[in-house]
Amino acid sequence: MSAPNCLRGLVRPSATIPISAPRTAAPRVAPIALVRSAPFSTTAINARRQDPNQQGGGGKGHVRQGKKLKLGKFKKNAVESKGKPPLPGERKAYRKRITLSNDNAIPVPWLKDLDADDLASAKNIARVLALPEEVQDQLRASEAFKPTQCWGMFRKPSLLVRKESVDLMNRMQASVDRKQTLRLVVTGDKVTGKSMMLLQAMAHAFLNNWIVIHVPEGQELTTACTEYAPIPNTEPVQYMQPVYVLKLLQAIKRANEKILAKTYTVSGHPELPQNITPNTPLLALCNAAKEPDSAWPVFQALWNELTAQGANRPPILLSLDGLAHVMRVSDYRSPAFELIHSHDLALVRLFTDALGGAVHFSAGGAVLAATSRNNAPRSPSMELSLAQREAEQTAGKEAAEVPQKDPFFRGYDDRVEAVLRSVQVLRLGGVSKLEARALMEYWAASGMLRATVDEKTVTEKWTLAGSGVLGEMERAALLTMRI
Amino acid sequence: MPPRLNIWPACRALSIRTRAFAQAAQPGPAAHSRGLADNTTSRLPPSASGALPPSMLPESEPPAYTSKENEAALNQLRMIEYGLSPLDSSVEGHKYGLPELPLPSQKHTKHRYDAVITQVTKLLMRDGKLAKAQRDMAMILNYLRTSPPPKLDPSKPLLPGAPPAHHLPLDPVLYLGLAIDSVAPLIRMRGFKGLAGGGKSLEVPMPLRARQRRRTAFQWILDVVNKKKSKGSGRTMFPHRVAEEIVAVVEGRSSVWDKRLQVHKAGTSNRANLTHSGIKGMI
Repeated sequence: MSAPNCLRGLVRPSATIPISAPRTAAPRVAPIALVRSAPFSTTAINARRQDPNQQGGGGKGHVRQGKKLKLGKFKKNAVESKGKPPLPGERKAYRKRITLSNDNAIPVPWLKDLDADDLASAKNIARVLALPEEVQDQLRASEAFKPTQCWGMFRKPSLLVRKESVDLMNRMQASVDRKQTLRLVVTGDKVTGKSMMLLQAMAHAFLNNWIVIHVPEGQELTTACTEYAPIPNTEPVQYMQPVYVLKLLQAIKRANEKILAKTYTVSGHPELPQNITPNTPLLALCNAAKEPDSAWPVFQALWNELTAQGANRPPILLSLDGLAHVMRVSDYRSPAFELIHSHDLALVRLFTDALGGAVHFSAGGAVLAATSRNNAPRSPSMELSLAQREAEQTAGKEAAEVPQKDPFFRGYDDRVEAVLRSVQVLRLGGVSKLEARALMEYWAASGMLRATVDEKTVTEKWTLAGSGVLGEMERAALLTMRI
Repeated sequence: MPPRLNIWPACRALSIRTRAFAQAAQPGPAAHSRGLADNTTSRLPPSASGALPPSMLPESEPPAYTSKENEAALNQLRMIEYGLSPLDSSVEGHKYGLPELPLPSQKHTKHRYDAVITQVTKLLMRDGKLAKAQRDMAMILNYLRTSPPPKLDPSKPLLPGAPPAHHLPLDPVLYLGLAIDSVAPLIRMRGFKGLAGGGKSLEVPMPLRARQRRRTAFQWILDVVNKKKSKGSGRTMFPHRVAEEIVAVVEGRSSVWDKRLQVHKAGTSNRANLTHSGIKGMI
């Protein structure tokens, strides 16, 4: 290299120094503004915008002077966004958050915690009982609480024990005593407490050391809002929902941690990512699912273990809310772009098989489903089957008044009817005045109902609520402008 | 001689009353007007601590169908049996009895809610949707019930006679009314055109009635609320923003207090204009 070139290497480069040397001689020290290779651009401003490393420089390039046509001059007061916008999902999380206590509410002195057999004893009908802390955590883990319920108004989450709840718990208990499975659908009008009945059943199960698997919303499975993939080697093809199943597994693990740690596998599962040997706690089996990819095989292994015959297993409660959504053709599409029936989704099929009576739990248990009256698709077969089962239950064996299929209607679904052929139906309606009074006394004692609870008030609210429909009573007494 | 002329059958017909007649017609519902005859007596366990008010505690576990009203009804039936007419003339012949007069204000359709609540609900209303405004108001009251008690700011005093802060959440109607009444301005500035000379208007402070004061205060609150950003989404967001602002007012954090101060200062500086010759007889 020649001497002038060497010296030039030591000089600070600036635009004023004429660079006579070829560009390739000192590429490293050249300021970026100088070596701008001309990108393709039509104007100076656009060229500038393409260069992200632009520093200083000053000026904004050429801006055209003079009058400009102002379009939309009435939109000048557009609201400028202040601060950062909420993250994706943050606003929904705020909307769906669940508060379980209100520190302003007066603690109710006579409120007792639930015991293991409290929900099944008839002397507790028309009493309000509180959920113990541990059960609260378990119920929260399995998403049994809903944001539309009034948990956030009282000091402690509490339950009204109804006649129907005692009836249901006794049926559950009886089926466990006979080592059978209770298969039951809770149905009824709007806001009559169907989801709350499921919650009571779950609370009873948790208190009695059952294993509880709860699907909080049937629609999450069938409205095509979670990922799905075909399961290899199934004929006809079934589909797994890996992300949802992973979430479900984690919920099961958190809710049933103690019991799963004490229950052991009877067979090995070498096909899983972690090799599970016999006599491993089921908790370890649940922990084997770390990724959505392995979630379905792990869940299937867990299900096989729970339903293994002859093994020592606790009773099992399998429950689902929003039955109508899983009793229809789902919104998922097969590779041939045909709609997939909900019962071809593996998780839904597992539930419907259990509800239809194809699964036997070794220590007995219950499969419960609740219908929903909000945002539920019409499912004519389900409605008809439930009406038929109900008529059969009340009328005994004779089938004179049992509703029949409309011969001119094509929308029935045989698979749904097959599932609901032998279930029991529990219809919920309004509560009695005695139960209404117990509830209103609890509200008043918590300071949330500012009225004297006497026969007149009770009857007034009971009547306003359409003969004691619980949700309507809440609307009439708690969620009103007249407090 | 037939035995019925004997004196003894007559004695047999005599009955001995073990309890006194009720002399006058019993106040309270009569036998035929009671539609509530279910046993809805309280089943609360008796508590020794006495934390509950006595009206909520039963004396003991009463047997079925023994309430005061039932007792009155049974007494009336007994008197009918004796051939007396114990029924209250105001009740007899009416299916549900006569109403108690004067009617309590809450029995009137148009006055069923608190006065402040009614007024403020109508201010919340948009596009004539009163039912939505009422639902919003119920959510506001509910938010106030469940939010922690406010931390009062001594530099922004509430109305004198306000209850302590920890009483407020359990009485949300009072909470809301207190917030609105505390920031409500006492006066407004009225401009008399051209009286100040040079075409300027003469600003004169005018007193406001209670309803006007509440309206002004709540409009100020709504102005702040409409500029706020929602934290979440869904139908509870607007009422929650309003309720947050109400809490901010009570805690003295709200900018509504500055507006009130501004109006009052202008009123003080312009009070000399009250004696201006141009407005004599106009106020």
